[in-house]
Amino acid sequence: MQPVLLDLAATSPLDPRVRECLIQHLDEVHGNPSSRHALGTRARQVVEHARRRVARCLGAEPKGIVFTSGGTESNNLGLLGSVRNRKPGRVLVGPTEHASVRTAAAQLANEGFVVETLRLKPDGQLDLDHAAERMGDDVVLVAQMLVSNELGTRYPVQRLARLARARCGRVHVHCDGVQALGKIDLDLEELGVDSLALSGHKVHGPKGQGALALGKNSQIKPLLFGGSQEEGLRPGTENVPSIAAFGLAVDLAHEGQADFNKTAEICLRDLEEALTGVSLMHQNSMDCARILQAGERVNSICAVHLPGPPAEVWQHHLEEYGVFIGVGSACQSASKAVSPVLLALGLDAGSARQIARFSFSRETTPNDIGIAASALRQVSKSLKDLS
Amino acid sequence: MTTELQDPDILLVRYGELALKGGNRALFENALVRNLQGALKHVGGGEVIRRWGRIQVKPAGRWREAMRSCAQTFGIKSVSPAWNTERNLESMVAMGRRLLENKLQEYPPGSQPSFRVTVKRADKTFPMTSGELALAIADGMLDEDSTVLIQMKNADIDFNIDLRPEGTFAFLEREPGPGGLPVKTLGRGLCLLSGGIDSPVAAWCAMKRGLKVSFVSFHSPPYIGEGSRMKIRDLIRVLAEWQGPSTLHEVQFADIQLAIREGAPESLRTILYRRSMQRIASHLARRSKTGALITGENLGQVASQTLENLACIGAAANIQVLRPLITHDKEDVIALAKRIGTFDVSIRDEPDCCTVFQPRKPALRAQAPECETIEAELGLVTLEEAQVRASAKEHIHPGS
Repeated sequence: MQPVLLDLAATSPLDPRVRECLIQHLDEVHGNPSSRHALGTRARQVVEHARRRVARCLGAEPKGIVFTSGGTESNNLGLLGSVRNRKPGRVLVGPTEHASVRTAAAQLANEGFVVETLRLKPDGQLDLDHAAERMGDDVVLVAQMLVSNELGTRYPVQRLARLARARCGRVHVHCDGVQALGKIDLDLEELGVDSLALSGHKVHGPKGQGALALGKNSQIKPLLFGGSQEEGLRPGTENVPSIAAFGLAVDLAHEGQADFNKTAEICLRDLEEALTGVSLMHQNSMDCARILQAGERVNSICAVHLPGPPAEVWQHHLEEYGVFIGVGSACQSASKAVSPVLLALGLDAGSARQIARFSFSRETTPNDIGIAASALRQVSKSLKDLS
Repeated sequence: MTTELQDPDILLVRYGELALKGGNRALFENALVRNLQGALKHVGGGEVIRRWGRIQVKPAGRWREAMRSCAQTFGIKSVSPAWNTERNLESMVAMGRRLLENKLQEYPPGSQPSFRVTVKRADKTFPMTSGELALAIADGMLDEDSTVLIQMKNADIDFNIDLRPEGTFAFLEREPGPGGLPVKTLGRGLCLLSGGIDSPVAAWCAMKRGLKVSFVSFHSPPYIGEGSRMKIRDLIRVLAEWQGPSTLHEVQFADIQLAIREGAPESLRTILYRRSMQRIASHLARRSKTGALITGENLGQVASQTLENLACIGAAANIQVLRPLITHDKEDVIALAKRIGTFDVSIRDEPDCCTVFQPRKPALRAQAPECETIEAELGLVTLEEAQVRASAKEHIHPGS
């Protein structure tokens, strides 16, 4: 039985073409890109080719692409690197950011910066009026994700960046673009951000590979020291095969974006329809499965309220049918591990534990949703008696 | 000039309580030698030689790893890395100087650690008494420039010379062992292992008293995920560092939990789950010639751990139940779990019971006869027998 992967915002399997590219470069490109002999030069060419590929997809300058180990490092470099050597000021952070942004911001708080969290409106969208109020000359950094990894919400980063330029002094605008890559157009200049974090394995690329794309006026300081690779911003010998594979993965995600969005729209519609048939008695009333509404969204990620027991119970039951979905929190009454993103959306801890995430990639088909729909129905039958 | 100290020639292993075991002494010593040989297998092997009242280990692999393994073997009081020296004052002094010079590098410049020399003379043919020899060695080792202070009691640095018929050994350090009795000398126990903090510590305490401990875990897919199964194995892997390769019986428990949830009063659920676990564990224990069950139960740690509930649960077992932690405070158990190495695994956020099975208000004073009636009505014995037959057994090796 082929597994049906509907947790593709967590990670996605290697595209066969990317795999081939990876293996080919592992076998054939041995040089260190910093070496001046022919083998080194060949490796350098591979890295620079990948850099141009990524830059082209983002409408960026190749020299603005810094290869990193993935989304977490890129977010850390974007946040910490942009304000190093600056006098501590205020930092504004989006309300639903990934842990790598939240904890990097917490680190800045330890270093004397004042970190403030932006707010959501009742409809789940970013509250731009509140953001505007919080802006001022002392704001040195604004960090806001483009697409929520938990809710699929698409946030108005472009408008936020413009507000920041108008209301703050010398400000760095960082954007976590990890879940946006391959789903919405990413034009660095259009977005108006100074840095944009990307990750390979969310778009069928290699794990442990990502990039930070830098805007023209961006001023970043390195977090690691010891070499001049990546313009000194990411010292250490480059992982050439991985970078080559990442370049291809980004390219494929970019090219396949329009088709993916069409299929994702169908998949989301099918899922929504399938969920209407899934309900359980819970605490003496009928509890129905439904997609959580959280403002304008991409079609490929959605948070789903599942009825009855904690979503983790659904997750493990669906596993038995070969269907894999994402669940943040643990099935343990004592556990405090509830997603802060869901709490920011106004859910209480009990309801937050009933939220699962369904996420698609370009390999997801309506047929997969059909299999998932039938599994959801089966599981709801077996969970009926537990309500 | 400082010279690099060579690796020690042997590890001197001392054992404690088992030396007192009279007629059984040889049995215990042989078991200890076997256990040490087993422990060394995972760190490159080595030779284990039994001498009067001592065991000498000659590691074939890295000596520090071998010393750690010895210091994690039950029955061992302490281990010292020791250097062979010739049986004359000059050699002993020279060795002492080398070891002291090396040791002093651990102290900040200008500090004055206290120092003493201890001589043990198992071989009485040496022409000086222990006291005379200690004085002569100290006199030879220290000169006007020495930064150490002679102190007879609680000295920071204690240079030891052990004069034995088979050789003369010099050492400074004593790595404490766990004490207790060699594993398996008192038989076998079966520990009901959850993913919590207590049960692995209970298993460790039983090992320390000479039991070879096997484990049984109860798994409830699809209500609980694979992460919990991995956690159980990781806990056993840590415990296997102490007692060697360990056996795990895994029992599927969802059917039994469902039957209880469906047909029993909600408040009794937890008691009934636990009684069922005790019956299954008893069954497995009898099958493998195991003399006792071991649980991490503790009086009053949670509201439902009352004397009545413990008795009601224990009544379901038909072999004796050891509860090593019954009166321990939680802080003490946590401190022990940290020392054993299970704490970091235990606190991993993996559920061991799904919320759908937990009662809102568990009974505080359950009675065995009431439970027995319900169990008979639910036909639990048949379900349990089926799960015993279907249970899977696997062996988990240290470092695997």
